[in-house]
Amino acid sequence: MIVECSIKNLLDLVGKKLTIDELEHTLFMLKAEIEKIEGDTIEIEINPDRQDMLSVEGIAIALRAFLGIETGLPRHPVRKSRKEIIVKRGLEKIRRYIACGIVKGVEVSDERIKEYMRLQESLTATHGRNRRKASIGLYVYDALKFPVIYRPERPDKIRFVPLGYESEMDGPTIMREHEKGIEYGPIIADFKKWPLLIDSEGKILSLPPVINSNDLGRVTEETTNIFVEVTGTHLPTVEQALNIMVTALAERGGRIESVTIRYPDGAVLETPDLTPHTMTIEVEDIRALTGLELSSEEIVTSLERMNYDAQAVGKRKIKVKTPAFRTDILHPVDVIEDVAIGYGFDRIEPMIPSTMTAGSLRPLTRLKNKCRDLMIGAGYQEIMSYVMTSPETMNSRMRRAQPLIEVGNPKSRDFSALRNSLLPVLLDFAAKNQHADYPQKVFEVGDIVIPDEKRETRIDQRAALCGLVTDTRVNLTDLMNDIGFLLRGLGLEGRFRFRSREDSSFILGRCGTILIDDEEVGYFGEIAPEVLEAFGIESPVVAFEEFLPESGNWKK
Amino acid sequence: MTEQIQLTEGERRVLSELLKVDGEIAAESLAQQLGERTDRVISILNSLAEREIVRLSVQERETFLLTDEGAQYANEGLPEVRLMRAIVDLGGKASLSDAVEKAGISPKAKGIAINWCRRNGWVQISKEEGQTILSATTEDPQSEVANVLSHLASGAKDIPDSLQDGLKQALERTLVKTQVAKSFLAKVRTEKMDLITEALSQGTEGIIDLTPEMLMTGAWKGKTFRPYNVEIQPAYINYGRKHPYAEFIDWLKEILVGLGFTEWFGPYVETEFWNNDVLFVPQDHVAREVQDQYRVTKPFDHGDILDEKHYRAVKAVHEDGGNTGSIGWQAPFSREITTRLVLRSHTTPVSMRYLSTHDSPPHKMFIIDRNFRAEKLSASHAQEFNQCEGIIWDKGLTLRDLMGYISEICKRVGIKKMKFKPGQFPFTEPSVEGFAKHETLGWIEVAPGGIFRPEVTYPLGIKDTVLAWGLGAGRMYMASMGIADIRELYSRDLTWLRRKYFVK
Repeated sequence: MIVECSIKNLLDLVGKKLTIDELEHTLFMLKAEIEKIEGDTIEIEINPDRQDMLSVEGIAIALRAFLGIETGLPRHPVRKSRKEIIVKRGLEKIRRYIACGIVKGVEVSDERIKEYMRLQESLTATHGRNRRKASIGLYVYDALKFPVIYRPERPDKIRFVPLGYESEMDGPTIMREHEKGIEYGPIIADFKKWPLLIDSEGKILSLPPVINSNDLGRVTEETTNIFVEVTGTHLPTVEQALNIMVTALAERGGRIESVTIRYPDGAVLETPDLTPHTMTIEVEDIRALTGLELSSEEIVTSLERMNYDAQAVGKRKIKVKTPAFRTDILHPVDVIEDVAIGYGFDRIEPMIPSTMTAGSLRPLTRLKNKCRDLMIGAGYQEIMSYVMTSPETMNSRMRRAQPLIEVGNPKSRDFSALRNSLLPVLLDFAAKNQHADYPQKVFEVGDIVIPDEKRETRIDQRAALCGLVTDTRVNLTDLMNDIGFLLRGLGLEGRFRFRSREDSSFILGRCGTILIDDEEVGYFGEIAPEVLEAFGIESPVVAFEEFLPESGNWKK
Repeated sequence: MTEQIQLTEGERRVLSELLKVDGEIAAESLAQQLGERTDRVISILNSLAEREIVRLSVQERETFLLTDEGAQYANEGLPEVRLMRAIVDLGGKASLSDAVEKAGISPKAKGIAINWCRRNGWVQISKEEGQTILSATTEDPQSEVANVLSHLASGAKDIPDSLQDGLKQALERTLVKTQVAKSFLAKVRTEKMDLITEALSQGTEGIIDLTPEMLMTGAWKGKTFRPYNVEIQPAYINYGRKHPYAEFIDWLKEILVGLGFTEWFGPYVETEFWNNDVLFVPQDHVAREVQDQYRVTKPFDHGDILDEKHYRAVKAVHEDGGNTGSIGWQAPFSREITTRLVLRSHTTPVSMRYLSTHDSPPHKMFIIDRNFRAEKLSASHAQEFNQCEGIIWDKGLTLRDLMGYISEICKRVGIKKMKFKPGQFPFTEPSVEGFAKHETLGWIEVAPGGIFRPEVTYPLGIKDTVLAWGLGAGRMYMASMGIADIRELYSRDLTWLRRKYFVK
C-alpha cells in the first residue's frame, strides 16, 4: 500500500529535520520504501503487516520512536463519554460487530480531511478485505443524538441522501445507481435485511459497509469533533481498525473518548480499548532466533525504538507491552523480529554459512540435460514455451480430444489450460516463425500435465521431449534417423522399436509409435495437412514427442 | 599502399558475370546464368556490397498467384464458360436445369455461373412455361479472367498490361491473390572497375581444391593455391543450440549444487492446503482471490488431504494457534477452501512438501520452476514465471545465518554489493529483503528470505529453525541480457533465439 503525504508535514510530525537520504534510510530500516518524490509530495510504500503505518500520523509515530525522539508506547488517554450504541437483534449473520469512538478537537483542513479519508480507504481495502471484513465511517459528532442504533432494516424502507448526492434514494436504488452501491453492495445485497446505523432521532448515519448519509456522514472543515464507527464480521479486525483510526486522529490533537456498545445478547463492550497487550519473552529465544548476543538492556532499548514498552524480568525474561494499534503481533517471533529491526538490520553481521551438505540435481534433470545435448548435436534449436495454453491449440487444431486441465478464471482464452502435450506448442511456434530462415529444426524439453483422478492434486505431471522439423520439403526417414540418434545416445540400442500407428494429427501411413521394451513412450510422423491448415502453417512438418521417465532412467 | 581487393572463387564468378551486364541485373537472373542457387548468389552479393564493390538494391514488387478456387477453375474451366459451352452444345438455347446438368457444375457454382454469363452479356434469360430459359448471344465466349488464370497456372507471376481488366475481376472474385516478392538488383560500382579488373586478372592460377589424388601423386608440389578471402565476416548459420534462458537456469543450478543444495520438485496444480494453508496464509487473504490466483475447475476442482494429522494441526494453527504459542487468525478454518485446486502461485509449497517428507537435518534444498498468477500478459506481467528458491534446515540457525546464506548465493551469481532491509511474508518471521546494487538500475530487490514461522514448521513436527530464501532469477536474467519486456523470457521469435546468447 502506498501512503502519499507532504514531506514537510511528515517531518513536522516527526519533530526533526532529516535530509531525504536520511529519511529514505530510516524508512528502509523500518520495512518501508520511498516510491516517488515530487516536490514536497512523497509516496511511501508500506508493507501489509504494518496497517498502523497507513497514515502519515502512523508513519510519524514509528519514525519518532525509531529515531529516539519519543520511544516506547505512544500515550493516548481514553476518557469515557458515557454515550451508548445499541445493537439490535438480527445482524448476527449479516454484519454482527461494531466498534465506535469519539475524537474531539481534531485538526481539520481540506488536506487533513483528504488524509483521513485515504487512511480510511487504505485500511478498509487491506485490513478490512475491501470492506467485507471491516468498514469505517466518520461522522459529525455534534449533529448526532445518542444513543446511536445499529439495526437491520428492509431495503425498500431505507431512504436517505447518500454522500455526495442531493436527493433521497431508497436502498435498492443506491445499490443500482450509486457508485459505492455498485462496488460494495454485493457484500450485503443477498440478505433480506440490510444493516443500518441511525441516531435516536431517526436520522440515518450510514448503510454500512456501503455509504454514509450526506448530512451526518460528511466531515467538513468545521467538524472538529468526529464520531468514528467500524462495522464488520470479525471482532478483532473491527477493533483493530478502530484503534488505528482513532490513534491517527489523536496524533492530530484529538482527545479520544470511548463509547459503550450494548449487544442484544447482553454483552457490553467499551470501545476503543487502547490497553496494550502484554507478552513475556525469553531472552534466550531472542538470541537464538536473531543470532545476536544481546543483553536485556539492549533488547529493551531496541523494543522501545519500535514503540513497545519493555522491561527485564530477572535475567532471562522480558515483559513486553504491545501498542493496541499493532495488528501483526500473533506470536513471540513477531516481537523478536521487531527486536532485530529496532537493533537495526544494517548493524547485523551476516554469518558465514556452515551447514555442510552435498548437493545434487534430480536424476530427471540430468536426463533432460542429456536429451537437450543430443538434440542440439542433431542440429535442433532449443525453445522454451509457456505451460499455459488454449484448448483449441491442444485439441481442436490437433484433431485430438485429450483430457485437459482448465482454469475457471483465465485472463484470456490463449492461457486458460495447461499443456497436455508439447507437440501443439511447437506447432504454434512454427506457425509464428514462417518469416524465419528455413530449414527450421526446434525442440523443447518440459513438463506436461494430464488429469488423473486418483492423485492428490488430480494430475499426472510428466516430462516430455518434442522435436520438430519444417522446410519446403521434409523427410520422415531423416526424422526417424534423428530419433534413432537420440535413443541410441540414451543407451537404448536394442530396446527401442517403431510401430506403425493411426493418429488423426498425422498423415495416414506416415506415423509411428516409439516403443521402449515394448512399452509405448512416444510417437512421430508427418503432420496432417488439416492440422497444418488449422495452425496456419504453410510448409510441411515432421515431428516427434517422447515422454521421459520420472525416475530419470528407463529401468530394465 | 594501394587498395587491393581479395576475392573468393564464388565472388570471382559472380563478378565476372556481373561485368558482362550493362547496368542492373536481378540476383535471380544472375543465379540462372551461373547455374547457382539464388540464396548463395545473394549472400555473395551481400558480401561484395558490404565491401562496396557492388551496389545492391532491394526492389519489392507485387506478384500474383492463384487461390485454391482459382487453381480449380484454371484446371477445369470457369463455371460461366462451362455453362456457356453447354448452352452452345445444346443448340444455343436451353433450360437452366438442362444446361447446368450438361455443364456438370456443382449447385454451389450454379449461381456464380449464371451471374457472370449475364454480366458478360453472353446470355438472355427468359421464362417459358415456368422454366428459366437461357439463350446464347455468342458462339464463342471470351473470358479475360480465364486467360489470367491460365497465364498464372503456367507458372507466370506477373500479369501483362493486356490482361489488367481480367486481373481486376479475378482479384475481386478472389481467384487470384497478391504477394509481395523481394528482388535484389546488383550493379558493379563503376569507380571500383579498375580494382575489380585487376583482382580478377590476378591469382586465377593455382590449385583450387586439394584432392586425395594430388596428395597421393604429389602433384601439388611446386604449385601455388588460389587464395580464399579469409577476412570476410562468416555468414549466419543455424545449427542447434540452447535457449539463453535455459542456459542461465543451468548456470544457477550449477552454482546451487556447488553450494550443497539438492534439487527438488512439486506439481503445478496444488491444493490450497499446500499452496497457502500450510504457509499460514489466512483463508481470506486477498492473494487467494480469483483476480490473483488461478483456480482449477476442469475436469476436477478439489483434491485430497493425504495426512489428516497434518491437516488437523494446520487447522488448529489457523483457528487459535494450536500448540505453537500463536493466537492464530481467530477465524474458522474451511476444509472446502483447503482442498480447492489452484495453479501454484509460488514454489514455496515445494519446500513444504520437502520438509514433510524428510527428517534428520541438516538439509539444503532448492527448486527453480514455473509458477502461475492470474495476470494478463503484457510487457511487465506474465501469467507464469520461474522462481528460484531454497531452504536450509539445521540445528541452531539464526537470522544472521540467513543473511549469510543470502549474501553467499548473491556473491556466487555475481552480485558485488548488497544490503538488507526487514521484509514481510506471511510464512516467515523475521523476514528480510536483500537488495543488490545494479550499475544502471540502482538498488534492486533480488533476494527475499526469512525464517519459517512456528505456525508453519510445528505442524510438520519441526522445532528447528528452517531458513528460506529466494532469488529474483527472471529479473537477474533480464538485467544481464538487457531485456526490458518480460515476454522475451519465453520469446517465440526463432530469429531472435538463433542470434541471442547467454554468457557468464
